[in-house]
Amino acid sequence: MEATPKTSSGVRTYALVFTVLAVITILEILLSQPGVGVARQVLTPTFLMFSLAKAGLVAAFFMHLRSDTRFYTYVFLFPAALLLIFALLATVR
Amino acid sequence: MSIEVSMHEDEFKAGRALGLDHRKLGVWLFLSSEIMFFGGLLAAFLHYKINNPSPAEHALLDVTLVGINTFILLVSSFTVVLGLDAIQHGNRRRLVLFLGLTMLLGAGFLAGQGNEFVTLYRHGMTLKSSVYGSSFFTLTGFHGLHVLIGILWAGLTLRKAAIGRYDDGRYTGVELFGLYWHFVDIVWIVLFTLIYLT
Repeated sequence: MEATPKTSSGVRTYALVFTVLAVITILEILLSQPGVGVARQVLTPTFLMFSLAKAGLVAAFFMHLRSDTRFYTYVFLFPAALLLIFALLATVR
Repeated sequence: MSIEVSMHEDEFKAGRALGLDHRKLGVWLFLSSEIMFFGGLLAAFLHYKINNPSPAEHALLDVTLVGINTFILLVSSFTVVLGLDAIQHGNRRRLVLFLGLTMLLGAGFLAGQGNEFVTLYRHGMTLKSSVYGSSFFTLTGFHGLHVLIGILWAGLTLRKAAIGRYDDGRYTGVELFGLYWHFVDIVWIVLFTLIYLT
């Protein structure tokens, strides 16, 4: 298969992104342990922000959305926005 | 003028008239349909989790073990990009090595998930025990199936790499597999948060 234009971010960037992902995951595991002493009202939005950050990093750097054609980002984000709406609607009692 | 038209025609045939690679666009469109697929399952799970909570079953979930599994999947995403970088620099052996590692890590994730399922079943949480159990196993089970398909895709990519189908000028196949694998990783990142952490 002929290659598309190079979109690699470089090993150093990949390693940095992976380190951030690993640190966030370790933080998540530590914060989820019983007896941490952080209120659920604080933890839930924190976990959601962590999740968003991790997903964003993987999409931007590992999937190269940051450097690739912008159109792919729109293709990916449109259903993601719909998913968010579905998820919010699902939480309505 | 005729040269310009001919060039444009070539670009069009190559699927790049809009600056888009048609193979890549195809995979992105497939992934966007997958978002809707998982979105439906996730919405069902959240609906049941909130409106029909099952705290006893939720308490059975082992966040630490699943967190380690999450870490394994993150490492596998890292090995995929290292493999891609290797082939972009013409290093086919490293690509084969990293794809092999990716398959092993994927298998490790599935083993961890299998262990979790068996443990939950032993404690009475099954596909039929409650709506929480049904939506949990359906959602995580379908994700596991995607990991399995990813392992098979990695195997095919590895085979092509081993017989010299990729080099520093031809690596789109590796990139396309990578897009799928990272997507499966993203889905798990979201599921880990919404199922286990919140």
